[in-house]
Amino acid sequence: MKKVVKWLVVLLVLFVGGFVALNWVHIKSFPGIISAFYAKEFCSCFFVEGLSEEACHNYARQWVPISSFTLNKDEKTVTVGGLGRTTTVKYTGERYGCAYAHDP
Amino acid sequence: MKKRKVVIGGCLLTLSFFCGAPKEQKPVEPETAYKKEYFTRKRDYWPTQDWKVKKPAELGMDEAKLAEVRKYAFTRTGDEQNRAGIRTDGVVIIRNGYLVYEEYARGYDRNRKHHIWSDTKSVLNAAIGIAVRDGKISLEDSVGKYVQEMNTPEKKDIKIKHLLEMSSGLFWDEGYESSPLKSLVIAMLYTRGRRDMGRFAAEQEVVHPPGQRFYYSSGTSNLLSLALRHALGDERYQTYFWDELYNILGMRHVTMERDMSGTFVASSYMYLPPRELAKFGFLYLNDGVWDKKRVLPEGWVKYTVTMASAYYTTPLTPTLAKDNPGAHWWLNLGIPERGVAPPWPRAPRDTFAAEGHWGQFLFVIPSLDLVIVRTGDDRDGSFDVNTFLGLISESVKEGK
Repeated sequence: MKKVVKWLVVLLVLFVGGFVALNWVHIKSFPGIISAFYAKEFCSCFFVEGLSEEACHNYARQWVPISSFTLNKDEKTVTVGGLGRTTTVKYTGERYGCAYAHDP
Repeated sequence: MKKRKVVIGGCLLTLSFFCGAPKEQKPVEPETAYKKEYFTRKRDYWPTQDWKVKKPAELGMDEAKLAEVRKYAFTRTGDEQNRAGIRTDGVVIIRNGYLVYEEYARGYDRNRKHHIWSDTKSVLNAAIGIAVRDGKISLEDSVGKYVQEMNTPEKKDIKIKHLLEMSSGLFWDEGYESSPLKSLVIAMLYTRGRRDMGRFAAEQEVVHPPGQRFYYSSGTSNLLSLALRHALGDERYQTYFWDELYNILGMRHVTMERDMSGTFVASSYMYLPPRELAKFGFLYLNDGVWDKKRVLPEGWVKYTVTMASAYYTTPLTPTLAKDNPGAHWWLNLGIPERGVAPPWPRAPRDTFAAEGHWGQFLFVIPSLDLVIVRTGDDRDGSFDVNTFLGLISESVKEGK
């Protein structure tokens, strides 16, 4: 019985490891989606469309909750943390709207 | 192999017309939604300053039917907490060049910009058309002429027209919430691709010969945007949409966002009030001419609303069968020869549209002389375009 469990664990590890290896390029960037999406969509909602903070939170929220949120109205930036990553998006003006302040 | 022999034998035995070549291999001449008489109507004014308003009844429209449109679009059918049901933010209807109906909800108003997501792609179509008019780019140009990553032996046969018709053959995975892990559109907009989205799209593998397979690709639009940037030169490109399009039509409040390299995110990031988007639709309804000035070159609108030829050589899944691609615009023609119905059977077949994520639409119905904008934030797909367009189409009683 113990042996069977051991083999199952080994198989599971191999399977998960294989999946991760095959999809590494996707998995590596995945956690960044949460903060990037929230920051970018909130920035445009708030600074470009001019909707309320409440409406923009409701627009940008996803299934995975964020861990930190800072709206800086003077600097016109939105900084969001989620899944261990932080993203800052900056409003650059009426014509060109919001853009990422840094690489992922 | 064996099975095939049986089939062939069966063919010989039964009447041969049941067998023949598989349906999808029969070439079909691409159909067009363009009919000159509907695109060259006389206008008594141009809405450059703003739309003039008329009562629907003055223009042969049934007000009771429009009340049904209103009820359908603006009745909330789900709770706000779950962002459920139909969530319309704005509707603008233009008939014979006059504004006959407009309404806003959920914090939006006449002057407020709305995110139009992939409707932006159809605006890119206009910018390419203008660049063609100016001799800056050609549909037959290799994309590699403008984008270094495309100048390889495998990719050099991919032309500008293949990008416009979304049939480049470059790999793409366009899933938003459905497949967030492998979605290339999410990677492009939010993570790996966000610095230089056009290059991100250009670096994808070739999986089909160009011009053979249609599949939706936002990468294609940003690659096209990058090609336009290099064709025009950066300085010209940065103001081109305003100089050559928005300022001419009186679209005064447009935001277009750029990736970190400075290329417009022409797949997704444009914001403007619905009234101004309606002006853009009106340009296409008038064959690309605005107040005697030809903005889009002769024949461009016809090309745009003609089905992409690759669509006829693409095996159509139920989803693909509703796509009906023109050139970065979407059609309502179906493929009658193959029993593929138009996506919105209650609307006239010559309807064409710009369509964006979460319920953004710009519709043009040339035969009814209508332009319709609908903005919203639908998260569960409960807004039914066929019902919406059906009600509006049926409201036109006279003077079709």
